[in-house]
Amino acid sequence: MKASFKYAIIFLSPLFFILGILYFMTFWTIYISFTDWVGMKPNYSLAGLKWYEYMLSSEKFWVSLKNNILWLLVFIAPTAVLGLLIAYVLELYIVRGESVYRAIFLYPTALSFVVTGTLWAWIYDPANGVLNSILSALGFDTSKLGWICDPNIAIYCLIAAAIWQYTGFAIVLFQSALRGGYLKNIIEAALVDGASGWKLLRYIIIPNIRSAFVIVAALLAIFSLKVFDLVYVMTQGGPGISTYVLAFYMYMTTFWQQMVSLGAAISVVIFSLSMIIIIPYSYYALKRWLLR
Amino acid sequence: MAEIKTSYLIAIFIIIIIIVGIAAYYAGQSTAPTKTVTVPQSTTPTGTTPTTIPQKEQLIIFHWWTAGGEKQAIEKLFELYKQKYPSIEIVANPIPGGGGVNLKAVLMSRLAAGIPPDTFQSLSGAELKTYVDAGYLQSVDDIWKSTGLEDHVPPLLKKVSYFYGHYYGVPISVHRANWLWYNKKIFDQLGLKPPTTVPELLEVCKTIKEKMPNVYPIALGMREKWEIVFILDGLLLYYGGPEYYQKFYTGQLDLSNANDVEPLKKALETLKEMIDNGYIYPYSASLTWDQSVGLVAQGKAAMVFMGDFALGYFLANGYKPGVDFDGVPFPQKPTEVFLMIVDEFTLPKGAPHEDAAKKWLELLADPQAEFEFTKIKGSIAPRLDAPTNYPDKYRQENVKFYKEHPELVIPMSAHGVLAPLAFLRDYYDVMAQFVTNPNVDQTITELENTFAKDMVKEQSKWYWSS
Repeated sequence: MKASFKYAIIFLSPLFFILGILYFMTFWTIYISFTDWVGMKPNYSLAGLKWYEYMLSSEKFWVSLKNNILWLLVFIAPTAVLGLLIAYVLELYIVRGESVYRAIFLYPTALSFVVTGTLWAWIYDPANGVLNSILSALGFDTSKLGWICDPNIAIYCLIAAAIWQYTGFAIVLFQSALRGGYLKNIIEAALVDGASGWKLLRYIIIPNIRSAFVIVAALLAIFSLKVFDLVYVMTQGGPGISTYVLAFYMYMTTFWQQMVSLGAAISVVIFSLSMIIIIPYSYYALKRWLLR
Repeated sequence: MAEIKTSYLIAIFIIIIIIVGIAAYYAGQSTAPTKTVTVPQSTTPTGTTPTTIPQKEQLIIFHWWTAGGEKQAIEKLFELYKQKYPSIEIVANPIPGGGGVNLKAVLMSRLAAGIPPDTFQSLSGAELKTYVDAGYLQSVDDIWKSTGLEDHVPPLLKKVSYFYGHYYGVPISVHRANWLWYNKKIFDQLGLKPPTTVPELLEVCKTIKEKMPNVYPIALGMREKWEIVFILDGLLLYYGGPEYYQKFYTGQLDLSNANDVEPLKKALETLKEMIDNGYIYPYSASLTWDQSVGLVAQGKAAMVFMGDFALGYFLANGYKPGVDFDGVPFPQKPTEVFLMIVDEFTLPKGAPHEDAAKKWLELLADPQAEFEFTKIKGSIAPRLDAPTNYPDKYRQENVKFYKEHPELVIPMSAHGVLAPLAFLRDYYDVMAQFVTNPNVDQTITELENTFAKDMVKEQSKWYWSS
């Protein structure tokens, strides 16, 4: 046993190294958020809650926070449900070419966000975009459809692009859950007993893939909180400030405006929000792991 | 047990040594030139080493001109430098994946870590000041004096390079921001004259809207948001004049005072009128600035407010000046001005090859070199005594005005020349909101708050201290 402890230390040392950097940077950011660093040169003199007050008085912060919460609400559920349904159909009904379909669905996930953003910005373009061209060819009046140029719906357009990109990811996770040994046996037994599609999904599959749901939801939630690329590429926070999100706001304040302490304060908010999601998830994961 | 322990410790130790060795090898490779240059500098007085070690001096330079014609322009400068100093090797942007913001982030961390390049690019004015305030730059007074730069540039160009009694950058290129570009065919077809004042502009917009309902009178692409400022600046200059313009962007005005706010209010009301009447392209949020210029080139829109860099777009895409498109400075009344955007190069403290960097800056201050560079770049030379035979009429007009009215060459608000960077981003966002929801009074209040919050007045003291 002594030897195995030693092995553990040796093999875990890279992990400790990485964790060390992670925790150091986290506490460093928290510290910076209480200093008065504006401009090129680090300024470590403490300024108390000055930048938190600045942040709370900024309209952009509240718009960003609201938008991040919108992402959590509007992005996770459709992606997960769509992912589950497609995974279910692929796994049980598509006999031929299942791997081809899976590859097609997974393909968007493999794309860089910059590619997705550019692609969807072009689809949504009100004047020359794909969407409005198709709609007007079908005889709809597209003159009022601004998509990402309409401040009221721009954020939903971005979320739709993200759903498109992330559904494949959810499909793969759900498929791997459906292929878990015992679940596969139960499904086969239920099919032999003559369970219909809906009943199978409702009473057999969903109750048995709860852990996959938790993983998918947690990962998508973390993505929602750190979303940046799509906003940066597609709208830069516009029209107006209607699609600002916290990560974009943080980036702009830190690197554009050089208000480094303010950027750190926003990072602390993003970090705290992530913790709200990660702590229950870790608790759940740990409990499952210990019960095994 | 003890044997296992020691053997593992030895294994780890060896691995660490290998890693450190590899790292040191690569680190040594990149810093080696620095060492070989600094050593002879210190030993030159004794006169022993310089002859024994063959030297290859370097110039490490950071710039963001990596696209299109800009790349050719900077390479022209490199060529001139190599002709003059063949022994110095130019190392441009030694950071993979550089360019734009990326480059700036790398530059920021290198300056903070005390390993600066020999020279780097910055915009003049407020942006240059951020480096000066951080204490990263050496003054370049001697270059301004020895090359005669001090006596041969417009007064305000001197000002945007001059902080706390010293010069901190050498200008290389001057762009003019206040141009109004228009589609010549549309204007000819409707028998319109290019507008030079705001009432004329509104009149032209009205005619186009009536006679060609499918053409947007004014193109705007503000995905990056700064583009809206080019329209507002034209209006502000018309209603307020150059003095007001400079005061506005440096926070010298009291926007709660009726007199001070009047020109701004008129400008915003006009902008609102233009938006409400559908004169401005409504889907501006999805376009970049060059795409908005493209709308004019293709005849989908009639006019666009954009700096003289739009010329590069027109020419690169095969549109003919005077046939397909044309341009006029805007506004021409009550006072025509030259809104300048100036690129400079600097001399960081602790530059590893200071001598090579100074030679570089001296080259930039040379009128002929400035001309050769700007001819390709699409801008004009900062020096008033530089050659003027630019190939197109727009730049000839720029040069003419620049030389005849150096006192009316004033810094552009956007891009960090006049207004401080922290304020600019917030300002762009306020104006972007105005475009989606044009509420004049609310926007004035927001601007007032933004000026106060980002301490524009305090940050802009440099501009008004002589």
